[in-house]
Amino acid sequence: MDNTGKMPAGDRRLFYSLAPAAVISMGILVVMTVLFIYYSIPAVRVYGAKLITTSTWSPSEYGEPSYGLLIPILGTLISSIIAVVIALPLALSAVFFTEEVLPRSMGSVRSAFASLIEAMTGIPTIVYGLWGLMVLSPFLRDNVYQPLYRYLGFIPLFSCEPVTGSTILTAGILLSIMITPFIYAVVRQSYNQVPRTYKEAILALGATRYEYARILFGMIKPAILAGALIGFGRAAGETVAVALVVGNTFNPPTCILSPSYTVSALIANQFANAPLYPYMVNVLVLGGLILLVLGIISNILGVMYLARVRYVA
Amino acid sequence: MRDWRRVKERIFLAVTSILAMVAVAPLFHIIASVAIRGGGVLYRAGLDFLTSQPAPPGSSMLGGIGPALLGTLWLALLTSAIGIPLSVLTAVFIVEFKDHPLARLAKVFTSSLLEIPTVLIGMLVFLTIVSMMGHYSLLAGSIALAIVMLPYTVSYVERAMEEVPRTYREAGYSIGMTRSQVVFDVVMGIARRGVAAGVVIGLAKIVSETAPLLFTIGSARSSYPMSMKDVFEPGDAVPLLIFQFAQTPYQNWQDLAWGAALILTVIVLALFAAMKLIVREVHL
Repeated sequence: MDNTGKMPAGDRRLFYSLAPAAVISMGILVVMTVLFIYYSIPAVRVYGAKLITTSTWSPSEYGEPSYGLLIPILGTLISSIIAVVIALPLALSAVFFTEEVLPRSMGSVRSAFASLIEAMTGIPTIVYGLWGLMVLSPFLRDNVYQPLYRYLGFIPLFSCEPVTGSTILTAGILLSIMITPFIYAVVRQSYNQVPRTYKEAILALGATRYEYARILFGMIKPAILAGALIGFGRAAGETVAVALVVGNTFNPPTCILSPSYTVSALIANQFANAPLYPYMVNVLVLGGLILLVLGIISNILGVMYLARVRYVA
Repeated sequence: MRDWRRVKERIFLAVTSILAMVAVAPLFHIIASVAIRGGGVLYRAGLDFLTSQPAPPGSSMLGGIGPALLGTLWLALLTSAIGIPLSVLTAVFIVEFKDHPLARLAKVFTSSLLEIPTVLIGMLVFLTIVSMMGHYSLLAGSIALAIVMLPYTVSYVERAMEEVPRTYREAGYSIGMTRSQVVFDVVMGIARRGVAAGVVIGLAKIVSETAPLLFTIGSARSSYPMSMKDVFEPGDAVPLLIFQFAQTPYQNWQDLAWGAALILTVIVLALFAAMKLIVREVHL
């Protein structure tokens, strides 16, 4: 309802002098969405469903280039899922550790631990990437991937020889480190909202701390799901750190010890030169649109689940 | 029976404690790696590291990250010039005209920007500003970074303004102040620490951002932007240099990347510490 007409003159003046800033701010997302759709249309018109069902990527300046985003899309999904699967137990353990294992009398240790985890969100993502490339991936190749391949190579997931440390699994592991603090923050906030009386009631029944944890985490299940979704969204959109460790090769990510690609890494590596090739800008913008939708959907779902945590104290 | 439950509890406590340690361990390892490797490089290069250009690839010399550091400073400055007024005015609008549909839309749309991969903001600026100007520039990078900054700063300023008790506004009106005087002199005056915290957290986010710069500033690795005129020219930034040098096979460039990572980490952690200090001292 527009009520500017009923405002006092001074208010109206303030309204009209601030409105341009608000319009610009909200316009950014609108312009982005419209522009991305506009740029994607030619790609969809020329290549159709082949864009997401095939996996050949052979740009050429002349003649008929062919583009398929299947491998990067799978790479994004698989690396993000690996990240969530690893990060979730870490984040939940960290929440339980801060809130229950550290005794209440050690308040400063508790808040120090919490700020350590919070500090992890402050480390620049490019520093994670540099560390992932130079420290984490050589370590994983020599101490984890080689043994995995040697002894568990009969499992298709581990069936390719790990030549480099830059693989889809490395990307997943690095992402898991990066998203753990976000999941931690979401879950911890919900954990602390559980009324004290509930916690006391559980303990009064003589539950062990294991049983206590199961009941409490069961109560905040929607928040855990929300944390996982928000973490997934973050992982799917992360760009430079992933581009440094994923290997940037069009290998199907069905074997997680081989280098592969993600949508964000593909954009990071190829978008700057895309205008040289016919339709490449359009195809990459479509990839961007997919990331945009993935990010927004996982966040909306996450917020919806969060809203489900309600207590009658 | 009872014993088994206790055993399970013990195992559970041990496992969660270990996993909690595993969750924070990378932080220490990363900081130690950056401090040791980066520190070694800085020690070797001396003060030149902050001023000179990168040495040619593969040479035994190191050089420095002067142009990138200067570029990052320019980006921070320009992004502040664009981003701070935009975010603060948007936040004021959202708080002051909460019931207006435009304010609600602005709130939803700006906070959604937080969930968007920042590389997409780089694409957006590439498709608009860069293609209009015809070349990369520090200005285009700053516009991208201002968009990255927007949702963080808006939400901090919004919260800071909401926390100002109603009575202060009423006191302002009662002595005959206009709405804008109340907003900018009274409310902003009281909320200034929160506003400052919002600006600092926005800056901490943008100086470490890489993805929005990939297709916006170019990487002019040898030019020192000195005047406003250079803002319209391509430039370099510390995170971008790390990203590109880390991928090269040259030892001296990888070393530069580690040194640059140390500088960047110190800048960002200092900004976060400043933010914590500002927030801690809010008393009302």
